[in-house]
Parts: sequence; structure tokens; C-alpha cells
Amino acid sequence: MGSMFFGQYLLSKGVITREALLEAIERQRQTNLSLVELAVRRGHIDSDQAEMILASYRTTEADLEDLFFDIGGLNPEKVDELRRVQRSDWVKIGAALISAGHLTRDEVEENLAVFQEEQREADQQLEADFRACKDPKTMKSVVELAIFHLKRFTDRPIKLQALSVGGGELGPGLRRYAQKLQGDRVLYVALDLPAEISSLVAQRFVGFAVDDGSEVQIDAVCECVNIIGGHACTQLEARGFKLRPEPPFSTIGNEPVDEASSSVRASVIAGDASADVRVFV
Amino acid sequence: MTKWRVMTVDDSAAILTIIAAYLEDSEFEVVASERDGAMAVERFAAERPDIVLLDLIMPGQSGVETLERILAIDPDAFVVIVSSLGTEDAVHECLTTGARSFLQKPFTRDSFIEFMRDLTQVA
Repeated sequence: MGSMFFGQYLLSKGVITREALLEAIERQRQTNLSLVELAVRRGHIDSDQAEMILASYRTTEADLEDLFFDIGGLNPEKVDELRRVQRSDWVKIGAALISAGHLTRDEVEENLAVFQEEQREADQQLEADFRACKDPKTMKSVVELAIFHLKRFTDRPIKLQALSVGGGELGPGLRRYAQKLQGDRVLYVALDLPAEISSLVAQRFVGFAVDDGSEVQIDAVCECVNIIGGHACTQLEARGFKLRPEPPFSTIGNEPVDEASSSVRASVIAGDASADVRVFV
Repeated sequence: MTKWRVMTVDDSAAILTIIAAYLEDSEFEVVASERDGAMAVERFAAERPDIVLLDLIMPGQSGVETLERILAIDPDAFVVIVSSLGTEDAVHECLTTGARSFLQKPFTRDSFIEFMRDLTQVA
């Protein structure tokens, strides 16, 4: 089993149906508040400040704590207090499934114990898979950087599910957004995304809804890859590599498979969608 | 109030859209936008903007080549590099070629406007 969220584990094991999972997620969405929503609800910041904090959080690398202070004037103690409130009120997926009548408490606890044990093994496997890659430090840092930015661009919980080495063919229904980094060595960083995630990334990036497959959408996601690639070069410079990115590109073919010997494929789950982060070496 | 005349050069239409939106209703006016370095040089010669915001990584003519050609037309041109790449090498190359400043993507509306206002103190 790869690394996954508990709800998806229950679904994969046939313990719950997809409809039950979606209903539980919907209950969570209604109940669980982000720190920013909580701060508005409690009157610490207004909605304009909330929008500014979220916009900055999506598009910069600033810490949420710093943004709360700089934009909302909230000191770290106040943010800690918000975190405590958020934790105490947070409804986990198991609890949401119980309250919706899909599972009993015993069923949740029994499955959770097995899930946690399997997750420990899956996480160990991921670490081992990274170590088995050619240049594991580079692979890990690029994959983590891509996931970090994907989280910000989508505002979704994103989790690295599995790592594999392969030829790099694009999966069905996905579009590839890639960038070549060239210098001391050559590597490509690529996001293979379904339309749903592409739309979300583009919408968050430009600030308005864009048509699926439109030039603006493709261009916006390419720019996100450009940001990942540029920051990867900057990060790898600290490890002694001199790399420069080339212009990003988008394809529904398999490029750059012909030029690259192999790729590391990091499968990620983003809410109820999945995507791939690839590093071609 | 006379606005600062800005030209933006980036192969990404999304970035051009974002910058134009960020500068709306400000003391800056986007007088030209180009997605290609060679076209940008011609447009610069025609428009002579106060500030050029220039991407570094573009297909065809690169940002540094475009910078050199703009400076050949006007050695006092105020060109700022806007790039996702923030390596010491890249920053050094741009500044020694003649760029006046360097802004790393991504940025927010507020940080961008603040950056632009700081530029006007020296432009």
C-alpha cells in the first residue's frame, strides 16, 4: 500500500463507498475551519485581510505566522491560540463517517490501527525508494519543492503516495507541464496533471476562472512549473550545482521521454484527484 | 498625475495578465507588453518606457540578450529582471549586464507594488 489519507484507505479496502467518503468530506468542509477562516470568525481579522493573507500564502514562501502578523497584526501567541481552538474543534474523517452513520466507532478504531501500521511501512518504503534513486538528495529536494508549491497553488492537502522509476510515459487524461534544467547536468521537472488540478492551479494563479485547455490555463500552469524549476535551480546551487532553466512547455505527448534515460515518478493525491510529479534524469 | 510608463516582457501570458492587473489603478501604466525578446527591443525603441520589466528565461532571444539590445539603444534604459530563477550567477549576470534590479517570482500584489514604488525612488 502506498502512502494515503485514511478516507482513501477505507475506500480502497471497500470499507466505505465513494458516496460515503464524499459525504464525510463535505461534513468536514462545513465544520473544519482553516486558521484564516477561524481568525475571521473570531473577529481577529476582516475578510479583506483574510484574502490578502491567503493570496500571499499561495504565491510566496512566507510563513503563515508571519503573514498573520504582517497583514493582520496578530502576534504568535494569538496564532497559537487559534491553532489550539482549531485542533480542539477539528472533525477527523473517522468522526465524520461515524456521525454520518457510515461506520461505528469500533469499525473506525479497528481500521485506523491497521491503517497507521501500514502507513509507517509505506513511509519507510518511500524513504527507501528515494535512497534507491540516482542522486536521491536531488530527487527528494525537487519532488518536495514541487509538492510544496502544488499545495500552495491548489490550497489542497497533497500527499506523496508512491515513488517509482520508469520510462516516463504520460498517463491517460493527463497533461504534462515540464521544464528542462541544464548546466552541470540535465534534468527535467514535470507536473502531469488532470484537467481538474490544472484548472485549479491556473485559477488560483491568475485570480480568475479560466477555460479548461485554454492558452491562459496552460500558460499559467507552465508558469507554476517555471517557478518550481527556478527555485529548484536556486536550491541546488547551494549544493554546488550550476543549473539554468529553459522555457517551460506543455504537452499531451511523452516529451521529454526520448531525450531522458529514465524518470522518477512521484504520485501525489490532492483531495479526491491524483497527479504525478516527475523528475527526468 | 503623470503615470510611470511601464513595458512588460514575458513569454507567459499569465504573468503579463497578472502584472497588468496588479498595476491597474496605480501610478503605473502598462504601455506595452511583449512575449518575445526581439519584438520587445523594437517596441522599446518605439515606446521608450520609463521602466522595463523583463523576464529572463524566454524562448528565442533570452532576457540577457534582450537587455543588451535595449541598452544598446538607450544605455540609460531602466530595465528590471523579473524571474523565477534566483541563483547568484543569474542575478550577478543580469546586474553586471546593466539591469537595475532583480525581482524573483512569485510575488503578491502588495509586494509587487511596493517593489515598483521603491524603483521609482531611483528610476
